[in-house]
This record gives sequence, structure tokens and C-alpha cells, in this order.
Amino acid sequence: MFEVYKKELKELLRDKKTLMFVVALPVLIFPIIFAVMAFISSQAALEADQKVNTYVIINGEYAQEFTDKVFYHKSFELYKGSKAFNTIEDLKAGVTAGDIDMGIYLPSNAVKTLDGGEQSKWQVVFNDAKSINFLFKRVKELAQEYSDVLQADKLKSFGIEESTHKSILNPIEVVKVDTADKRENLGEKIGGFLPYLLIPLVLMGATYPAIDLGAGEKERGTLETLLLTPITRTELVLGKFITLLTTSIASTTITVVSMGGWVAVALAFADLEFIKTAFSTLAVTDLLMIFVLLLPLAAIFSSLALAISIYARTFKEAQNYMAPLSMGVFFPIIISIMPNMELTAKTAFIPVTNVALAIKDIIKGTVDYTFVGLIFLATALIAGALLAFCVKWFNREDVLFR
Amino acid sequence: MIEVTGLKKKFKLTKDHKKNKLEKVDPREDKDYFHSVRDVSFQCAKGEVLGLLGPNGAGKTTTLRMISTALKPDEGTIYIAGEDIVKKPLFGRKSIGFLSGSTGLYGRLTVKENIEYFAKLHGMNKAAIKTRCDELFDLLDMHSFIDKRAENLSTGMKQKANIARAVVHQPAVVVLDEPTTGLDIMTTQTVIEFIKGLKAQGTPVIFSTHHLDEVALLCDRVAVINEGISCFDGTVEEFKQAGNSEELNQAFMNILTEKHNV
Repeated sequence: MFEVYKKELKELLRDKKTLMFVVALPVLIFPIIFAVMAFISSQAALEADQKVNTYVIINGEYAQEFTDKVFYHKSFELYKGSKAFNTIEDLKAGVTAGDIDMGIYLPSNAVKTLDGGEQSKWQVVFNDAKSINFLFKRVKELAQEYSDVLQADKLKSFGIEESTHKSILNPIEVVKVDTADKRENLGEKIGGFLPYLLIPLVLMGATYPAIDLGAGEKERGTLETLLLTPITRTELVLGKFITLLTTSIASTTITVVSMGGWVAVALAFADLEFIKTAFSTLAVTDLLMIFVLLLPLAAIFSSLALAISIYARTFKEAQNYMAPLSMGVFFPIIISIMPNMELTAKTAFIPVTNVALAIKDIIKGTVDYTFVGLIFLATALIAGALLAFCVKWFNREDVLFR
Repeated sequence: MIEVTGLKKKFKLTKDHKKNKLEKVDPREDKDYFHSVRDVSFQCAKGEVLGLLGPNGAGKTTTLRMISTALKPDEGTIYIAGEDIVKKPLFGRKSIGFLSGSTGLYGRLTVKENIEYFAKLHGMNKAAIKTRCDELFDLLDMHSFIDKRAENLSTGMKQKANIARAVVHQPAVVVLDEPTTGLDIMTTQTVIEFIKGLKAQGTPVIFSTHHLDEVALLCDRVAVINEGISCFDGTVEEFKQAGNSEELNQAFMNILTEKHNV
């Protein structure tokens, strides 16, 4: 068994494609992808924040204070072109043609309406399909400020003291007293994301080498010679299985260590308080517990990938069979982030979902260790059953000689 | 000595095969099964080379796979040194060296690593592996490429490495399935010399081939299979007599035609 393991590992380490998937991808490519994504999205947000938008206000003289606020705001610049804008349709056409970024339409009877005790309806015309858009939010803020002034003036005109305005407008204030500490709050957010990263990595670390170890043997014509050596099929399967377990765990560990390294680098150069707080809440024992839970999961994926691979006749066929497995693994992870999904005695028996839920609880610091034990046991039992199936599969002539 | 008696092997027909079947053309096919080998028997004594002949699809490869223990026969026995390897496949695997034209090597391992790997799987210790490898590298003139990765070898080098891999554990019987198919003259000559060497050592060799000149050159005995049934087993002289011709090709054709008509 160990001869098979040693040989498989040696061969895999000499395969550039495997090294690419198991080592290079986690060490370099993932952090690069995340860094590039973070850079692009922050740049886009910064650009949207700093952009000066051209605007037109129709009937602005009826709300001069508001019109002035917009005029002096750093994000807005009054349209200086020759086109005339008189109706809401003109504003729509101007935004569509790109002459202006935004148009504000105030009704001509705005003051009269307010004086008559009615609500005045203002319309903001802009293109809301852009992914990052601060326009509407800023106009709303300015309008709110103006609205507050009007509100205060109105109440004063009724003879109501300014000190009592707050209690009249908001007689009841509901205040949230959160029992969740900072770690629990952050854990809820990060803990939901982490299984998306870790679990597919565990699978990916097993699938690619599995294709080489099963279907690859058939395609190269080495499987038959291997079957004719005096080692039992159980030893043969175990040798290959442990190889896959190693690559799966190695790939995940390398990724986590590499990401940790990149986060440390990022923290050294930038003041990222949120990330600092999030990582400072994690203890080594938490990481170890996550690692322990991923072990039987890696065993499940390794057995499945090996069984699929040995059934396939060629490398390409095996890749086709692996595709649904790679996509299917996301389904139980999605279940884990559904509202009200919690780690219970029942959910502890749902494969993959249970590990995802446990990871979330570990990060939050609210994990029940009984459930962790239960999950480990349940996952290990499934892994054992799948391994036994794999051995049986390797004994079937119609699988080996398809 | 190896003695094969009454071997039978059938394979379940796939749904696709059943669906695409237009009419029943092969007598070995029934509703659910393809009876690849229906009754095959022959023997090969110490120091003998047996040529296993038959048209394409006759059941030669299935027979050799059963002898090599890759497939389990439905019926029949295969005795090597008094042991039925159908019942004791691990004993069979220790006793047999198998090589076919399509056998591959681990491309990312060197020739030496490939051969040593199989020696280890056969339970040989370090000292025995070194002695045996040196012996084979000398015999097959392999020293110039033993440290090269198998993926970088020429066809001839690969076949030499495969031969060494097949006999590294000094098997009691050597089984070769069309070992010269697709090889150039030089490499074919290496295989022929290797079989001669085994014969000189007294190792029984069973090899399937379509080249009757190789049979004339190497074989003491001939076994013919047609449609999964043995239709001849005897010495080369008996083969010629049974086929009513001094020419092996003609004798082979005559035997097949005669059995078919019967």
C-alpha cells in the first residue's frame, strides 16, 4: 500500500498540471484574483464617489435653499450647455443622450402645496442601472436636510417649542441592545463565506489528481499491469486513496496558509481595522478544529473522485463525470447559509452542510463541541462507507475493463 | 508447466449494444451475454513456447487475461506448478509475467523507477531488486536510458523497459499478448531474442500472434482458438499435419475452414 502511495505521490509531484492545481493555484492565483477583484471594486467605488455629475433643476427657484445646497455640493455641477430643459421628458432625453447625469423636477406649485399642508412630490431623473451609483442617495440627503428645515419652520408656526419637536415627530425610539459580541457578528459574516472557499478547495485538491490515478492509468495502459501484481485490491485502493487525501488536504492547507500570509502582508501596508479585528478573534484551536472537520470531508471527496475516475475510460470522460460533482458541492453549502439554518442534532447529519455550519459556528465562537464530535463521526462513517464502495468498485471487471 | 482446461468467460451485453444490434451474427451472442470464451484448453511445458493463434475476436486476449488473473473465468481451471490460480489469484500473479502490445509505463517515472516499483510490488527486497535490475539492464542493453523518464523514450526503448518490467520478479510462466504488434524490425528482433532467452532458461512462454513466421521461428506448440473454442492444440508438426500443409499460413486457414464447416 505504501509503495503505491509513494509512487503515486512521486509521479504527481512531477506533473506540472497537478502542481499547478495543488500548489501554484492556491499560493499565487487565488490571492492574485482576490487582490485584483478588491482593487477593481474599490477603484470603481472611489471613482463613483469622486465623480462630479452634471445636473439641471427645473423650477429650482421654488426651493432656493435646496437648489443652493445642490449647487455648492462637490459632487454636482450645473449644466452649462445650450439645451433647454422644461419638462420631465426633456430631463429623461438629456440623461439618455448623456448631456446631463441627473435632472431634478420640482413642481411649479411646490411652495403653494407645502403652505396648503400637502406633501410635495419631487422627481429625480438619472440612470440607476449603473452598479455603483451615489447620485440618488446624495440628492435624497440634501432634500432631507431641506425637508427638516421646512418641518421645523412649520412646527414653529404652530407655536410648538423647538425642544419638543423630537418627541412629537418620533414619540417612540427603538434601540437595539445586541447580545452578540464583536466576534459573533464578524463570525456570521466571515463564517458564511469561508466554507465557500475551503470546501470546494478540498474537492479540487482531490479531483484533478484522481483523474490521473484512475482514468489516467487506463488511458496509459498501466492499470492492467498494476492489477497483475500480487497486491490486493484493498491495498491498491488505499494507496491511491491516501494519495488523494494528501493532495486534498495539502491543497487546502497551502491555500489557507498562503491567504493568511497575504492578509498579513496587506495588514502591514494598510490600516484594515475590520480584517484585523476579524482575524484577532480566531484562535489556533479554532483553526485546528476546522482542519479536523475537513479531514473526513476530504476522505469523502477522495473516495468519490477515485470511484468516478476508475469508472471512466479516458481522462476526458473522467473530467466530464467530475463536472457535476464540482458544481454539486455548492448546493449543500448554500443550504448552510439559508435563513434560520443552524447546527442541530438533525443538521449535523447532512453531509457537507454540517461542516459548513460548524465552520460558521467555530468562527463565531458559539460552536457546541458535542455537535463537532457528531459531525466528525457522521462524516467519517460516510467516508468509510464510500471507501468500502470504492474497494468493491475496483473489484468489478465491468468497471475496470469497460 | 501451465495447464489450461475448459475455460469459459461471458460478458453482459450493454444496453447500447442490445439497442444497436440489427441481427444475430455471432453465434456467441445470446439475449443478455456475449460468450467470449466457450471452451479453451491447452498446455505448455517447461522450456516450451506456445503460439496462441486465432482470427481477430476469437477470444485470445480474453483467454490470456484469464491466465494473467486480470479476469476471473466463469468455468475452468488454470494450473501452474500444481496450483489452480483461478482459486489462488495472488499465487498466479507472483508466478506470471505479462506483457501486451498496449502495455504502458509510468511516463513521469524513469525506466529504473518503473521497474523497481513493480519489483517492490512483487515483494522483492532492495538487494534482490538491484541484482535483478542490473542483470536485465545488461541482458536487454538498457544502460543508456535507464535514468530517462519513460515519457521520453522511443517505442523500442519502451518495449525493452516493458519486457524488463514483466519479468523482473522472475516469473515461472511468461504470457505475451501480441507483443510485436506495431513494432519496427529492430524492436521485434529484441522481443524475439528475449523469448528465445526465456526458452533457453526453461521458462514456459505463451504468446498470441498473427505473425506465423514468428511461430515458425519460436514455437514448439500451437493452440488455435476460433469463436471462443479451442480447435487445435499440439506440436508445430502436428499443426502442419492437421492443416494438410507444410506452410503454416495455409495450415492455419485449413484448420479454421475445416472446423468452421464441421
